Amino acid sequence: MDVAIFLQTIVNGLMMGGVYALIAVGLTLIFGVMNVVNFAHGEFVMLGMVLTYLLHAFLGMDPGVSILLVIPVMLGVGALVQKGLISRVIGQPDEAQILLTLGLSVLLINLALLFLGPDYRSVKTGYKFSVWAAGPVLFSVPRLLAFVVAMAFSGILWLFLTRTDLGKGLRAVAEKPEVATLMGINPKKMHALAFGIGISLAAGAGSILSPFFYTFPSVGGMFVLTAFVVVVLGGMGNIPGAILGALAIGVTESLTSQYVALDLAMLGVFIIFVLVLVFKPSGILGKGKVY
Amino acid sequence: MSTSPQEHSGWTRYAPWILLAVILVFPFILPSRYLLRTMVNIFFFAALGCAWNIIGGYAGQLSLGHAAFMAMGAYPTALLLLGYNVPPWLGFIPGVVVAVVMAFLLGHMVFGLRGPYLALSTLAFGEIVRILLLHFRDQTGGSLGVTIPFKGTDAWKLQFASEQPYYFICLALLGLCLYVTYKVHGSRMGYYLQAIKENQDAAENLGIDLANNKVRALMISAALTALLGAFYVSYFYYIDPDSVCGVDLSIKILLVAIIGGVGTVWGPIIGACILIPLTEISNYLFGSGRAGASLIIYAIILMLVILFSPRGLIALLPGGERSYRHE
Repeated sequence: MDVAIFLQTIVNGLMMGGVYALIAVGLTLIFGVMNVVNFAHGEFVMLGMVLTYLLHAFLGMDPGVSILLVIPVMLGVGALVQKGLISRVIGQPDEAQILLTLGLSVLLINLALLFLGPDYRSVKTGYKFSVWAAGPVLFSVPRLLAFVVAMAFSGILWLFLTRTDLGKGLRAVAEKPEVATLMGINPKKMHALAFGIGISLAAGAGSILSPFFYTFPSVGGMFVLTAFVVVVLGGMGNIPGAILGALAIGVTESLTSQYVALDLAMLGVFIIFVLVLVFKPSGILGKGKVY
Repeated sequence: MSTSPQEHSGWTRYAPWILLAVILVFPFILPSRYLLRTMVNIFFFAALGCAWNIIGGYAGQLSLGHAAFMAMGAYPTALLLLGYNVPPWLGFIPGVVVAVVMAFLLGHMVFGLRGPYLALSTLAFGEIVRILLLHFRDQTGGSLGVTIPFKGTDAWKLQFASEQPYYFICLALLGLCLYVTYKVHGSRMGYYLQAIKENQDAAENLGIDLANNKVRALMISAALTALLGAFYVSYFYYIDPDSVCGVDLSIKILLVAIIGGVGTVWGPIIGACILIPLTEISNYLFGSGRAGASLIIYAIILMLVILFSPRGLIALLPGGERSYRHE
């Protein structure tokens, strides 16, 4: 086995895993705080990509800058979606929230299809094809940037949850909603905050993906299943678990496509998924708290 | 068990028979190809919804991967016809057997899971089958799919130039699915499934074998779905992994049952009677190129149903609540 190719495969996997991590921490935060599995999560990645594409096409804005606009905008959108839709099914049978978010997913994909058409669009940055060499291993600059930004935002989320009062409030609602309410925390506000943060991180991941990934209405489907796998692998609601799980899944995908077959990359991921679900549904790190 | 006759007053007692008579003579009075195709579509999705309903509705085990069972019926039927000249009348059998065996294995693997975990694992199951169909392109044609050439009317090969034979075959398949659902609805197993749906732990404490009942329901559902897959390829002459094994199809199948009324015999028919004509109307208004329009309407209806009438539209009909009860 060629060591350089092997190292390159691992690095490529880790780079992509970083982006998966940013998508998955949002998903796992929403699950941890609200006990809702957001089947529309991938569509918020798509919305982030579309916003970034539009900002680039009309204002020439670099994705690295537009992420700073996309995240606050989607934070507001998320809070509204939570208040208007999701809050109505909190506490109802699982089927209700699965089907509601599934409906939202179909709605968003097809609204995008209606307004933007089915075309594949790409954001052409100056550094799109730039490569940075470290010995025998090559780093694609947009992918490396995506990895760094994704890890930075995941770190900021972790600091927010552990170091700020608001973040501690979120964790309190995740652990014991009744007690949190007695302590004067409004769980509805925390739900809106969790959903807002969750989908804005997904949209942010869309921003940093756009320089090297095509933007089209159903692109979210390519990420949402991976994100589910990551979240289950790390333990639903467990944020460090999601980050580790994402890196592991990125590497698995990369190794499968390099050494088994290119079009079977997702198969390796799904087989791990089903095995984890069947043998250890609480995830490798256990069903965690949001921390 | 059916509702007792005295609950029906006057003409409503005969309404289903009048409707059936209209459906039976319809193709001869109005032999418009377009209308008949729309009707076949309604029958087909109503039948798929019925099949899904057995596991997804009655047992409350949300499956998001049902399209995989349809592919298991469709692919062997098509490949046996193309490669070995086996007529679909016989060619559907291996596919149905495969689907039942896979349902048995899948059921034993995933039915220990609940809620979102179960939904996710069935979603992954559907995707695994789709990826395998795409990968083994030498056998399945990969993303190009399988096309069956039309070689003139030949009842043995289930190929007809006119629309009427398909109309009656699909109607018969719908009848079969309704009959099976009706039998399940009134059987001991039907009661068990409803108990499982209401509260799995309580059902288990009452001595109901959860795994066994859920797996049996999935096997029945998978067999019917695979049979419908065999019809699909005989009717459309073309399949590819996205059209018979995609997440979109799995979602459309469950939409029919959920919008109409989960866990009822007639719910999926109501769902199909609403969704399929809606697709046609929206294609007419917005052009079929804008495929998004009809799905936007579906999604909005689904969300409204979940928020305001979670038992489906059948619950809004006069006497609709009765469809849930065993009497």
